[in-house]
Amino acid sequence: MSTAEYESTAEYEGDVTVLEEQFMEQKSVGPIELESQDVSVWFGQRKVLEGVNIAFPKNTVTALIGPSGCGKSTYIRTLNRLHELIPGAALAGSVLYEGKDIYDTDIDPVHIRLQIGMVFQKPNPFPSMTIRGNVLSGLKLSGLKRDQHDDIVEETLTSAGLWNEVKDRLDSAAGELSGGQQQRLVIARALAVQPHVLLMDEPCSALDPTSTLKIEETIRELSKDITIVIVTHNMQQAVRVSDYTAFFLAAENEPGYVIEQGPTTDIFGSPRDQRTLDYVNGRFG
Amino acid sequence: MTQVLDREQIAEWSAQQPQRPWTKKPARLQARIAVAALLPAALVALLFMYTEIPGPVLLVAVYFPLQLLAAGIAAVATKGRQGAADSVIIVLSVGATLFSFIILTSVLGSLIVRGLEAVWGEDGFRSSFLFQNNVYINPSTPLEYGGLGHAVIGTLMIVLIASLIAVPIGIATAIYITEVRGRAVPYVRFFVQAMSGIPSIVAGLFILTVLIVSGAMNQSAFAGGLAYAILMLPTVARTAEEVLRLIPEDLRTGALALGSTRARVVLRVVLPAAKTGVITAIILGVARVIGETAPLLLTSLKSDQTILNPLTDPIAALPTYIFDNVALPYPGAVTRAWGAALVLMILVLILFTIARILGRDRLNRFR
Ligand SMILES: Nc1ncnc2c1ncn2[C@@H]1O[C@H](COP(=O)(O)OP(=O)(O)OP(=O)(O)O)[C@@H](O)[C@H]1O
Ligand SMILES: [Mg+2]
Repeated sequence: MSTAEYESTAEYEGDVTVLEEQFMEQKSVGPIELESQDVSVWFGQRKVLEGVNIAFPKNTVTALIGPSGCGKSTYIRTLNRLHELIPGAALAGSVLYEGKDIYDTDIDPVHIRLQIGMVFQKPNPFPSMTIRGNVLSGLKLSGLKRDQHDDIVEETLTSAGLWNEVKDRLDSAAGELSGGQQQRLVIARALAVQPHVLLMDEPCSALDPTSTLKIEETIRELSKDITIVIVTHNMQQAVRVSDYTAFFLAAENEPGYVIEQGPTTDIFGSPRDQRTLDYVNGRFG
Repeated sequence: MTQVLDREQIAEWSAQQPQRPWTKKPARLQARIAVAALLPAALVALLFMYTEIPGPVLLVAVYFPLQLLAAGIAAVATKGRQGAADSVIIVLSVGATLFSFIILTSVLGSLIVRGLEAVWGEDGFRSSFLFQNNVYINPSTPLEYGGLGHAVIGTLMIVLIASLIAVPIGIATAIYITEVRGRAVPYVRFFVQAMSGIPSIVAGLFILTVLIVSGAMNQSAFAGGLAYAILMLPTVARTAEEVLRLIPEDLRTGALALGSTRARVVLRVVLPAAKTGVITAIILGVARVIGETAPLLLTSLKSDQTILNPLTDPIAALPTYIFDNVALPYPGAVTRAWGAALVLMILVLILFTIARILGRDRLNRFR
């Protein structure tokens, strides 16, 4: 379908009602832990996202899907105040965490990031630290006090599916690990600080099927206690791990919108928007 | 059809030895390389023996062009036109390296030969030269008596004072520019850049007029250290800035995402990742100042005694010791100056080795 078609106002208005209905549906599900309201995002003068309303119910997994460049990473970074680190970045709307706007002037971003952790699209272990040091780095950097460091290291590395590969060389440099191993290491690092919300930006894009399954298992396990937002390009993965799905789409040189969102089974089973149907069936573009 | 791993073969493979086939060259190529390398050298050697043309001229005007030509021809003969470009680059870079190596070794060579005369005489190794001071010594005193121990202590003291001031400020400036990224960054950068253009004697004059003539302090190691610090600061700041800039942004974001404060990001992630580079910045800063003479002539003056108080008295340093002795019309004094130059160089070597050992990256052995 052509770009011009889905830019028409009639369709856009249609989207808004769909969004609102699904939004209400979600609200009845349980307490909302994290919620973005009318979030629009700019890099300099360029608006890359517009009017994103997503609510993340407590202890659920929400998948963000959409073609490359539509603003998923950008959006996820607004949820724990990492977006503001980019020079020229701007934002409108609000992000509520436990009912309070995290962009309020009296909120300390350090405090927010401590509760809302993140795994990045590119692995970024600290090169000056050992494997063990990397896992525990969150505790050192945030000043959190947790005892039994050895247990934390084993536990989180096991959850990340890396323990067996590195248990004999915990004190060697993190930079010696392969790309996929580094990715699992930074997942373990994010788990060690026990965040309440975990944002994961394509955590499995560099992983083999076995490790991917292990991470997915961990996500399901974690979602009993924490709220997870995961960006993924893998449709099967979205189906396997998530309770809710939001579909992002951006036309060329236009800001991205959430075209459709709702329970994952609905998004993949009976999407209301033609574009969603096309995308989840791999027929896009 | 697919193939399956054949277990029989595994035993065969386990007998394999590691080899480097890319290092082997065909015999014909080897012969050509030998001819291309030896012919110009032989020709120049003949010219050197049978003509009056001086050696350096032969080297630059005859040998290098000839070698270029020979390598070019050899390359064209084996690899065609593309090989020629390759060989020109190789010969040019090897030639340039050789050229600077020759200059460097001749400086070092004369330094070592002339310098050793001061430290090593008919009476054997003169530890006195290293450990005694210059009291009761005049330019005609034999080399067996007196030494530059006081100047070594002076130089170490002045450089230490300068480092204690310039290194923290320099690194803090770099952190302000790359990590804090405050509003004043363009001005700070401009200022640091301008500062690196200060002639060393102006640094000395500044300390002299502002602090010494005004009576705020004596001509002393501390005054010398301040003048050195002015010169050292821009070098440390700019090098450290370059090094910190190389640290990927991902690391900072990653640390912040773990709930780190800005200060901890810098102290626990950025600086440790840049450790070797920061040590290099310090080394370059010390290298920038340690031989500077002019500022010391104005700020720390000189002394024949061993001075341990950095605040009260004029003090000797190796550059000023060299400066004083080299101008005297006594061969003994000139030899002392060469000896001091050698000691200065060895001192620098020792300081840098210590810095490298301290800055060694335990984890990343391969870097
Ligand atoms: N630092 C930046 N400065 C300027 N523009 C940026 C920056 N980061 C991202 N963008 C732009 O914002 C838009 C959204 O980028 P984003 O990284 O959020 O996409 P994405 O949905 O995560 O894509 P992918 O699936 O490929 O990771 C893109 O058009 C990109 O060019
Ligand atoms: Mg992305």
